[in-house]
Amino acid sequence: MTDSGPADPQRLDRCRGEALELRVAELLADPTHEGDPLWQALRDFVDHMAHQVARLERISPMADRSPSPWPERVQHLSQRFDRQINRLEKAIRISDRYQTILNDLNRALEDASSHDSLTGLPNRSFMADCCEREDERLVRDTTTYCLLAIDADRFKLINDTYGHETGDQVLIALANSFQQSIREGDYCARWGGEEFLALLAGADLSAATRVADRLLANVRAIHLPHEKGWINPRVSIGIAQHQAGESYREVYRRADSALLEAKLQGRDRYVLDSPGGGENPPG
Amino acid sequence: MTQDSAAGDRRLSDGFGEVEMSSPDLFLDATSATPAVRADWRAGCLRMVGESYPENTYEIFDQIITWVELFLAQAGRPLRLELELNYLNTSSIRAMIDIFDRLQEAHDAGVPASVVWLYDARNPRSAEMGEEFREDYTFAFTIAAQDH
Repeated sequence: MTDSGPADPQRLDRCRGEALELRVAELLADPTHEGDPLWQALRDFVDHMAHQVARLERISPMADRSPSPWPERVQHLSQRFDRQINRLEKAIRISDRYQTILNDLNRALEDASSHDSLTGLPNRSFMADCCEREDERLVRDTTTYCLLAIDADRFKLINDTYGHETGDQVLIALANSFQQSIREGDYCARWGGEEFLALLAGADLSAATRVADRLLANVRAIHLPHEKGWINPRVSIGIAQHQAGESYREVYRRADSALLEAKLQGRDRYVLDSPGGGENPPG
Repeated sequence: MTQDSAAGDRRLSDGFGEVEMSSPDLFLDATSATPAVRADWRAGCLRMVGESYPENTYEIFDQIITWVELFLAQAGRPLRLELELNYLNTSSIRAMIDIFDRLQEAHDAGVPASVVWLYDARNPRSAEMGEEFREDYTFAFTIAAQDH
């Protein structure tokens, strides 16, 4: 044998059996053993073995063909298992879809509860929360913020002249303009009716006036077409900077007073609530 | 929750309109977490309306599945499911699949069964849920928008 691999026990057994058969066959073929009582017994034994082997060879194919319940049962169980897995995967898939829809609905509800449906701007409640957070931050930080109280000029006249639908279009155009005018991180909310409030975090009056200038300029660039002509909305702005110890409500009151002053001075301008006051010229 | 499953002729109103009962019907009022169920033996119709996310799904669905099995085994008539289910939790989804599987078995055995999946026209994504449920079944499974 040249095979150097591990010995196969069945193969070894078979080899030994074949060697034994060969040796017995040689002994039986040897005439010198004839007459030995063991020779005849061995002869009978070999014949008996051959008969048994022949029986086994006849029986074996019949046994193979006889039906066994196990393959069928295993297949049945396997099919049931696959079906259950499919059902489980289907339930998970549907559940995940419901979850996605619920999450989207939650986001939509959250958005609806914090934003104005007409303009898409944050609403008063959301803005009040922002201002309160800013007040709390200022307790710890030595920084500041400004509030811009913004009001559409002669809005009642626009509504009365062109109708409420056009009035809504004006508010939407103003809101878009405000969004483009404030800085990254600032908030502008619809505070109520035609009044808006911008929160400029970290801005002093100087920074706030730059935003207000940009805001007025962008509003002056709005020209809404209408069958009766063009609508050119304008806004007035009151600006107040947070002072130490104040809450946003007090800052807002000062910004609102400055807004009133801007209206009194002829609209389409901003007025600063500061010791020296301040305003920008109308465009 | 009210339940009527006894035999006998009587009339009752359950929010779906007044109906006459003369067979083992199953009527369950809607709760905040379970759908309204009207299983009408005579009409061969099981209608479920609402949302389903009960703490114990078996409490409600065991009755429904039993009714469906009974109808399919004894009524000898087609069964129609009208479903207007806006939301189902995972256990309820599994229970609905159990019901649909029974309809499929009945369909395979020659008992006609059908499902009408009604979804809110304002929320077309809920039609996708019907599509998911319908997959793999060969009985009639219609998905239709419901205007409100």
